[in-house]
Parts: sequence; C-alpha cells; structure tokens
Amino acid sequence: MQSNWVLKEDEAIELLALLITSARIQMDEPAHYGPLRLLTAAERLSSLIEARSSQKAREFLEGNIERIPAMHMRMSDVDAYTEGLDALCRAVAACLLRHSSLEGEA
Amino acid sequence: MNEALRNIKTRRVVREMSDQAVEREQIEAILEAARWAPSGGNLRPNRYVVIEDAETRRLLRLVAPGMFQRAPVLILICTNWQVVAQHHLPAHDRALLIDIGTAAQTMLLAAHALGLASGPVTSYSKEAVRIILNLPAHYSPEMFICIGHKAETARPGMRAWQPITWRDLTHWERFPERE
Ligand SMILES: Cc1cc2nc3c(=O)[nH]c(=O)nc-3n(C[C@H](O)[C@H](O)[C@H](O)COP(=O)(O)O)c2cc1C
Repeated sequence: MQSNWVLKEDEAIELLALLITSARIQMDEPAHYGPLRLLTAAERLSSLIEARSSQKAREFLEGNIERIPAMHMRMSDVDAYTEGLDALCRAVAACLLRHSSLEGEA
Repeated sequence: MNEALRNIKTRRVVREMSDQAVEREQIEAILEAARWAPSGGNLRPNRYVVIEDAETRRLLRLVAPGMFQRAPVLILICTNWQVVAQHHLPAHDRALLIDIGTAAQTMLLAAHALGLASGPVTSYSKEAVRIILNLPAHYSPEMFICIGHKAETARPGMRAWQPITWRDLTHWERFPERE
C-alpha cells in the first residue's frame, strides 16, 4: 500500500475549514443535518484525493462516494437514507480490508 | 396560467451551476426587485453585499458547508444594526427576519424570471464570513443568495418530507369550539 502521499497543505486546510464550520453550524441546525455535513466532507476529501489514489481506492471512491449527492436529496426518506449510509459503511469496510494485511497486500 | 404565478410555481433551488457569467444588468435587476420587497415599518434594515470576485467566492464557499453550488454571483443579505438602533427596534423583533425572507424570495423569483438559477444558503459560519468579507461591525451576514446558470448535469433538488399541497397548509375560517 502506498502510504507516502498526503493532501497538499491548501487542500487539507480547505477540508479543515469545512469540518470546523460544520461543527459550528450544527449547534443551530437539526440533528439530521449532521450526517449531511460529514458526508459533504467525505465527498470533498474524495474529490481531493481521487487523482492521486490507487486503483483499489479509486474503485471505492467512484463506486460509492459518487452516490452521495443523490442520497442527500432523499434525506426525507429516513429508512432509505439509513440504508444508503449502511451500504456506504459496508463498502468502506470492504475497502479497509482490501487495504489491510488481511486481504490486500499480504 | 398567469405569468407571475407560473414563475412562482416553477422556481426551484438549483445546487449545481455552470461557470457561465451573469450580466451586470441582471444582477442590478435582481437588487432592484429586492428594493421593492415589503419591509416591516418600511424601515429597510437589509443591506446587500454582491460578491463576484472568484477568490472571495472560493473562500466563502469553504466556510459555508450548506453552499453546494459554485455560483458566479453571491448576494449576501445583511441586517444593518445601525438602522435597527435608530428606530429603537428590539434586536429580537421578528420583522427583521421576515424582511430577510421577503427580500430573499423576491430575489429568487426575480432571478428565475430572468432565466437564471438561484438558491438561498444559511448554513455557514457567520463569524468566518464576517472575517472573509471584512464586514463592518454593524452588518450581520444573514443569508446568501447564489445566482448563476443551471448546470446541464444538475440533479433534482431535495425531496419533500411528504407530498404537500396548499390545502394541507390551509385552514378556512374560525376553528371549531373545543369540547
Ligand atoms: C431559511 C432558508 C434557509 C435555507 N438554507 C439553505 C442552505 O443553507 N443550503 C441549501 O442548499 N438550501 C437552503 N435552503 C433551500 C431549501 O432547502 C429549499 O427551499 C427547499 O428544499 C425547497 O426546495 P425548492 O425551493 O426548490 O422548492 C434554504 C431555504 C430557506 C427558506
């Protein structure tokens, strides 16, 4: 696994700004906006790393993160939204496994 | 259908915009429409800050998690607290919020009437926006109106929590006596 690349400093600061301002606005907004903000940050991170990521990671990003904007627009269907989040969690767990010594590089 | 009513019914928030610029006259027409929005006591506490500069817009978007669009024009509706103080209006007077709402809706409808895409945004850090725009202390940043052109790839907006018609929102006449 490649472990020697990082975000550019400007990109990391952009992500920090999003996370910090999300924390503040969450104090005034409904609780169900929390997942929306975290997923927005996940999407932003994904778009920042996509160009430099490995084939394995890109498969995860392209197949899963791409679906996030469409999910947001259906937030009012709580069951479908929860299922969408569960599907993302399953996909990220599978991606972790592929990146680990259990399944991946070993 | 009547043209104004059609404009009201067909306006939708657009969260994906193209890079196409908005003409200066169009921006001015939207601002002039806001001038004609109703205002409590006709006090006009709103002030509008127009942001076209690309780098300023980029920074604002970074502190606005609710701003999904990359709009070529941002209009920030501010409350001018000097006007509020001059007229001895209490800070919690709801007319101040309602004034923001009437201006916002008027601008959204004006933009739509001009064939432009638009969307309101309130999910941002006010303190961060204050710093980025170097806002005077007596201005508070209340709502962004994003203006631009709809991207060809734009997806439909947020679904309603439940199907809703005006009838669901309306009660006619006096409520019956309670037992
Ligand atoms: C007070 C207020 C705040 C809003 N804030 C945001 C926002 O921060 N981000 C956003 O994308 N939409 C925002 N909206 C837009 C609403 O989500 C939108 O009007 C609603 O989903 C209905 O969609 P429609 O206007 O296209 O019918 C806001 C609307 C209002 C009235």
